[in-house]
Amino acid sequence: MNFLHFMSANRQQIIELTLEHIQLAGVSTLIAALAGIPLGIVITRIPALSKLIIGGANVIQTIPSLALFGFLIPAPWIGERASRLAILALALYGLLPLIRNTYAGIRGVDPAVVEAGRAMGLTDRQLLFQVELPLASGVIVAGVRIAAVLSIGLATIAAAIGAGGLGEFIFRGLAMVSNQVILAGAVPAALLALAADLLLGLLERRLNSFWLKA
Amino acid sequence: MTLGETGEAEARQSRPRGIAVWSLVVAMTTILAIAMFLLVTGCAAHSERIVIGSKNFTEQLILGELFAQIIESQTHLPVERRFYLAGTFICHQAILAGRIDIYPEYTGTALTAVLKEPPRANKEEVYGQVRQAYEKQFNLTLGPELGFDDTFAIVIRGEDARRLRLQTLSQASAYTPHWRAGFGYEFMERADGYKGLSTSYGLRFAEPPRVMDLGLLTRALVQRQVDLIAGNNTDGLIPALDLFVLQDDRHYFPPYEAVAVMRAELLKVHPEVKAALELLGGQISDEDMRRLNYAVDGEHRDPGAVVHEFLAARRLLQKN
Amino acid sequence: MPLTVNATANEAANNGIAIEFDRVSFSLNGRRLLENLSLTVSQGETLVLLGRSGSGKTTTLKLINGLLMPVAGEVRIGGRSSANWDPIRLRRSVGYVIQDGGLFPHFTVERNIGLVPRVEGWEGARIEARVRELLGLVGLDVELASRYPRELSGGQRQRVGVARALAADPPILILDEAFSALDPITRSEMQKEFHQLQQRMRKAVVFVTHDLREAVRLADRIVLMESGRAVVNLPSEEFSRSEHPLVRAYREAFSEPTETATKKKTRESP
Repeated sequence: MNFLHFMSANRQQIIELTLEHIQLAGVSTLIAALAGIPLGIVITRIPALSKLIIGGANVIQTIPSLALFGFLIPAPWIGERASRLAILALALYGLLPLIRNTYAGIRGVDPAVVEAGRAMGLTDRQLLFQVELPLASGVIVAGVRIAAVLSIGLATIAAAIGAGGLGEFIFRGLAMVSNQVILAGAVPAALLALAADLLLGLLERRLNSFWLKA
Repeated sequence: MTLGETGEAEARQSRPRGIAVWSLVVAMTTILAIAMFLLVTGCAAHSERIVIGSKNFTEQLILGELFAQIIESQTHLPVERRFYLAGTFICHQAILAGRIDIYPEYTGTALTAVLKEPPRANKEEVYGQVRQAYEKQFNLTLGPELGFDDTFAIVIRGEDARRLRLQTLSQASAYTPHWRAGFGYEFMERADGYKGLSTSYGLRFAEPPRVMDLGLLTRALVQRQVDLIAGNNTDGLIPALDLFVLQDDRHYFPPYEAVAVMRAELLKVHPEVKAALELLGGQISDEDMRRLNYAVDGEHRDPGAVVHEFLAARRLLQKN
Repeated sequence: MPLTVNATANEAANNGIAIEFDRVSFSLNGRRLLENLSLTVSQGETLVLLGRSGSGKTTTLKLINGLLMPVAGEVRIGGRSSANWDPIRLRRSVGYVIQDGGLFPHFTVERNIGLVPRVEGWEGARIEARVRELLGLVGLDVELASRYPRELSGGQRQRVGVARALAADPPILILDEAFSALDPITRSEMQKEFHQLQQRMRKAVVFVTHDLREAVRLADRIVLMESGRAVVNLPSEEFSRSEHPLVRAYREAFSEPTETATKKKTRESP
């Protein structure tokens, strides 16, 4: 049975696992953005915290993903459902790119523009929401893109602890020593990552060109 | 930058670009919405199929096939096989999340690894405790015991057992100081492994046990590199290579009786599934399981064919 | 079209003195940027701060709109110390124009100009009307309102910058090298138009430049700054005639450069 034939014969399982995978990566990237963007904003306002916050996110990144999954298993409530655990761990990994890009994006806004805004009597919140964030949005979306692609890749490992997703095919295929099964997991996962990178990259480019001087 | 012909054209171009950004955002949201919709409907379709999972070693594959084939022939419901899942934790997570509906588990494993309770010796007590706890904590139903115990087996060469007239571990403990032992890594590490065993039976060996890969233990025993190993009670190679399992007369090892674990929600919708699996109760002895294992591992036959043959012989394939 | 600027009301407040520096000093990171600076600007007066880069001109401007606070002495705006003003209210009362406009690249011209009125809570129709009015005031075609800054020429951007600063009708206007990035012809145009505008609006204007001719064209009064001090403080005509060494140096630097490089060489050779 050639590969395409195999894919079509098992399409229901493949679709199911793909949707599971999207859910794992999507929810975790969303959480990382909801936490990471405000944190990035905070360290542009309180530079003293930047070492602590970026340092913390850096430390998390250095923990091997499978190890982090393993650490969290005994945790109450979180460890009871593998998908919860996986989403938390993936969100933690997505923090660093989002915090760093938010920080860099806001700092990268033309200082003359920021000063003009401040001199016009914009409050800090108005400055943030009307000037800095829109102008930094391209770089911030780049951070989302990085976190999303990272998440999609790491989510394959999450299957090792029972969180499901396309990684399940990969691990099963390894145990069965069946290339078809492995590819049935690996190929859709790679395609997902490419698609996310492409779509978000497009959005990023549009935002950058749209809102900055040509 | 001066405003001229090119400037005008650029100005006209940049306004549609604004619309492009928003249409991209809308497109992405729509894709996401469609995906979510498919997920929901996908789940609905899923409930029509019975998904049977299993762990990733031979015995589990055989048991998974047994469940699948008996359900297929007795109830004619569509069955999907999701075998080779990487371990107890993963199977447990999968059944909790509803990704699989049924999988084969061992009572001892359920007790210690899933429920994290201390091991117990009495078969009936273990079964009872696990069944209650699974019902209450996880909304999972336990099927009847299939009839065999895949516990740890302390195995010696058949000729030694006959020569020294050994039946039990206690008897063997008199001779072990002259023997070398071989164990797997896990057996050495586990609390209910080597440490407890040697205490329980007062075992002493000529030298510290050799630790090696599970797959190599049997060969090492046959080739006389070691004289005693810890294997699985239902290992197919035991009868094939004339090996002997010493009786655990002090009941040191907890029971590992094989049962089907099923989602209670599924049984509400399809009670006939429970009835089908109950036909397997008590049908498979230790000997039966060893033979089935050997047919796949030793003779390299297809698990599906082996299981079909077995069920046919027991007349379990036709509806009663 | 009636100007909403109320010149007489502006003049009436605080017996006419809009800005006052009372022995103000400022340092940053241990460096003294301003030393004992005292000056006043009346409502309707245009004060030009002239000097080299690093002489403290921009620092002085930032002390007016509260972006900086004095280390010694007091800055009084409308009679009240800048330390006692709510910083947001102070900045909204001072229009700020910088070189090249400092326009928000992601806003249309209309949104740029209307920003302060919008955050002040003006209603949409009023803002629209004001934007149209200001565009006319600074000599721009109303059609440009929906353009983005990157679509405009340098001169147009500068005009938008001025319009933006005037939007909420602040009594004080400060400009930092506002015309320095423009080509000479546009620059000259802008100076003339600005002068005319100021005659009508009678705001208190502080204009920073390093160009003597621009200073003379626009100023009622010129303050020459050097190393953080006000060295000369004279009305415009007197300044032009002053024999102060620094003023003379300035005049010389800006005198007609009639000698070409070759002519200079032949002149200097024995």
